[in-house]
Amino acid sequence: MFRSVFRAAPALTRVSGMRSGFVKPTFSVASRFYASSTLSKDEITTRIADVIKSFDKTAAAASITGETQFSKDLGLDSLDTVELLVSIEEEFDIEFPDKVADELKSVGETVDYISNNPEAN
Amino acid sequence: MPVAGSSKVQILHMYKEFIRNSNKIQNYNFREYFLRRARESFRANKNVKSPEKISELISEAEKDLGVLKRQSVISNMYTFDKLVVEPLKKR
Repeated sequence: MFRSVFRAAPALTRVSGMRSGFVKPTFSVASRFYASSTLSKDEITTRIADVIKSFDKTAAAASITGETQFSKDLGLDSLDTVELLVSIEEEFDIEFPDKVADELKSVGETVDYISNNPEAN
Repeated sequence: MPVAGSSKVQILHMYKEFIRNSNKIQNYNFREYFLRRARESFRANKNVKSPEKISELISEAEKDLGVLKRQSVISNMYTFDKLVVEPLKKR
């Protein structure tokens, strides 16, 4: 009765040994899994610029920098700004909390928030 | 600005809810309809000054938002073929 257990044991270790040997190379290659935004600020700015350009109301979207203000430079009213922020949210797969969204007035502020948000991609 | 502080923020938040929920709708025609309707109705009333009218419009919009939320959830229970005017992949 016990013999079957003893016989099973080495087989088990062999299997697990094989598996760890198999896993090892992928483990050393595997990238880190903790949250960290990999987006650079330049990339975020270009992508926001693309969103603004596809947002058809903005004629002055030609040159977008961090200093570009939604209301002053782009001529958006408060409703347009809300809509633009929703498009940016969709672009980066995040949701600005209402408090944050109310404070975002320029491209630069938005870039800063997104680059500090680990969930953005 | 015709609308006083807190209610302006409240209305903007409500507008955001309208846009977000409209975007979730799967069917192109309904999605564009709700977006168009939200944009048009908020803009049509942007110069309303009387507080009674504003609160009346707000409660009306709350009712509409309820309908919109229900419909967007329902629309996600079904699949819709993309129309030819829709891009297959965003971006």
